[in-house]
Amino acid sequence: MRRLSLTAIAVLLTGMAAVADSVSIQLEAGAFRVTGWSPPRSEPAKGWSSVFAVYAGAGDVPPLLGRYTVESGSLIFHLQFPFAAGVHYRAVFHPAGGGTPIEKTFEGPPRDLTPTARVEQIFPSGDVLPSNQLRLYIYFSAPMSRGEAAARIHFLDDKGKELPGVLLPGEELWDPNYRRLTMTFDPGRIKRGLTSNEAMGPPITEGKRFTLTIDRDWNDARGVRMTEGFRRNFRGGPSIRKSPDPKQWRVTTPKPGTTEALALEFPVAMNYPLLQRMIKVTDARGNVGGTISVDKAETEWRFTPQEPWKTGDYKLLIDKGLEDGAGNSIEQPFDIDVFDHVTEHITSKTVTLPFAVR
Amino acid sequence: MNRTTLIRVAAGLSVAAALAYTLVAAGTTDSLKPGKAQLSSAGALAFGPDGVLFVGDNIGGQVVALDTNDTTAPKGTIKIDVQGVDVKIAALVGVAPDQIQINDLKVNPVSKNVYLSASRGKGPDAMPLIAKVSASGDVSLLSLDNIKHASVSLSDAPKADASARQNPRMQTITDMNYVNGNLMVAGLSNEEWSSALRSIPFPFKNAQEGATLQIWHSSHGRYETQSPVRTFVPYTIQGQQYVLAAYTCTPLVKIPVSELKPGAKVKGETIADLGSGNQPLDMIPYKKDGHDFILVANTSLGVLKLKADSLESYKPIDSPTVVDVAGVPYDTLKDLKNVQHLAQLDTMSAVLLIGKPGSGPPFNPGPAVGPINIQTIALP
Repeated sequence: MRRLSLTAIAVLLTGMAAVADSVSIQLEAGAFRVTGWSPPRSEPAKGWSSVFAVYAGAGDVPPLLGRYTVESGSLIFHLQFPFAAGVHYRAVFHPAGGGTPIEKTFEGPPRDLTPTARVEQIFPSGDVLPSNQLRLYIYFSAPMSRGEAAARIHFLDDKGKELPGVLLPGEELWDPNYRRLTMTFDPGRIKRGLTSNEAMGPPITEGKRFTLTIDRDWNDARGVRMTEGFRRNFRGGPSIRKSPDPKQWRVTTPKPGTTEALALEFPVAMNYPLLQRMIKVTDARGNVGGTISVDKAETEWRFTPQEPWKTGDYKLLIDKGLEDGAGNSIEQPFDIDVFDHVTEHITSKTVTLPFAVR
Repeated sequence: MNRTTLIRVAAGLSVAAALAYTLVAAGTTDSLKPGKAQLSSAGALAFGPDGVLFVGDNIGGQVVALDTNDTTAPKGTIKIDVQGVDVKIAALVGVAPDQIQINDLKVNPVSKNVYLSASRGKGPDAMPLIAKVSASGDVSLLSLDNIKHASVSLSDAPKADASARQNPRMQTITDMNYVNGNLMVAGLSNEEWSSALRSIPFPFKNAQEGATLQIWHSSHGRYETQSPVRTFVPYTIQGQQYVLAAYTCTPLVKIPVSELKPGAKVKGETIADLGSGNQPLDMIPYKKDGHDFILVANTSLGVLKLKADSLESYKPIDSPTVVDVAGVPYDTLKDLKNVQHLAQLDTMSAVLLIGKPGSGPPFNPGPAVGPINIQTIALP
């Protein structure tokens, strides 16, 4: 009896070894396949993952999420999330009844480490910034990684020493393509009356020179550094505390029958992205189609129509939310002296500047 | 009893069953429809009634309500401590841990499970994730492929360029709270400074945006400004419902909910100014030993414990002060460092999300780096 049992165990062990020898794990058509082993007809009580699992991390981590199928007598694991560059995949098969697990590792797709991204432009683009400049827009040539602004953007004084507390910490506002980053100068130092404004002064000191640098090591969305860094010198100018007044804007009208640009000049630099969408040209039939360009350090807005101008009356329809570089909108300055209507309703949203093409 | 009677009885029972079903199903999850929830990103989180989780989708310009189907109360006291939750999420979705960004943390008020919003990747193709962390430390992902859900659009800006693939303007939802049948949503734009607090009735109706209002607050004395709200909580002072809102740099403002009417410009009252160069992250109001407190997690100032007894007694801050800090007194909890998020677990404890400082300079380290841990603490 005892001898028989031992023999049976030996046969079993030999059989398991044979199974283990012939089992192999392959990566085919984007899925992990166990071959040389016949899966049972139904899923084991502890799930297929108790037999076969694929891991991406090291140490005591849960297996990758995915789903199992049995096809042509093979167990196949399909990843829920796509393969990622630079990841090691460890596929582990546990033979039935125990025994040494069979492991095989696979590499994710190769990582393209060629730098392509760079800073294309920044706004404000002028050499002089008001000491209460509110926002900084950085345009990149390629999608970038989030979470790097704190380490990569620097403001230096005229001696090259880094200035702390210029930008608001912990805030990265991206466009959906991650090619434009909006940063905010610390509003606590801009708003009059706040203690940090009174104790530290504005982030940009009037009359002082400073330099904005952006490190080349900023990773793009693939995790690859840029082709080059960025550097721009500025000078601090006087603060701007008044709402932009469209009545003070100079309109240069085009000649009829031409597609000359209509030009609008502002006394101070305006918010570049808002200039792209907050001014419309209308005639009696509605919006006039055309393209917008912004020039002269955001003090000029130009509109080139698709069709030649006709003799007649036109209007510029300007959203009251349009802001200058210091966050003063047509509707209200960034901070206001007296706010005597504590609760009032928001009224008209636009102002109109009529012009004629003659 | 003949056959006809039997059928009548059966029919009667069916009607009764149908009525009972209607009564049950008329809960808030009834408005949610099964199917694939289309999320482009997962940012701010808030829990509503019946295990409904609201997810702020900044890239999609919407808020999505998800039925977590997680409404079983736990037995006994809960404590959740997970080391390297970012590492575990990364392992589930197959990326390096540094490619996981955790955006928010909330506790399901019924089940006490922790929910995280995160992204797989750091660029525009990052995939949104909603992770659930149970008391046992198990980390799983909420499947978005077939889940009861509803959404409401927040987009209100015209496209700058009709040929552009996507509108570059984006509203970032900074915080959300469900208050008396309404989801209140604070947001800020990546273009204009003006900001809004929206109040959206839930269940969502016809994708309406809800009432939009502007929140103003006084700074010291003469000047008043409009600012984006970073984090806010509902709060009752002497029987009146308020919203306590924390702004950047860092006024704490109380606003009576009764003034939050559609289209209104509302002036909040500054009751504390916590200092500059800082952003508030999360707030928890709580009671302990008969006193009121508010915990505030911050980017630069760490975790502050505000002594919030008799908030009604603090006069609005209306004169410049010598020091940065004014109004409601507070202590800095020096033992709690690098807290990225905090949420109340129960009346006695809170859950923290803790990382290491980012790679930026000391005055602005940037987002936390891993391993990122979840830790339960007794409310101090």
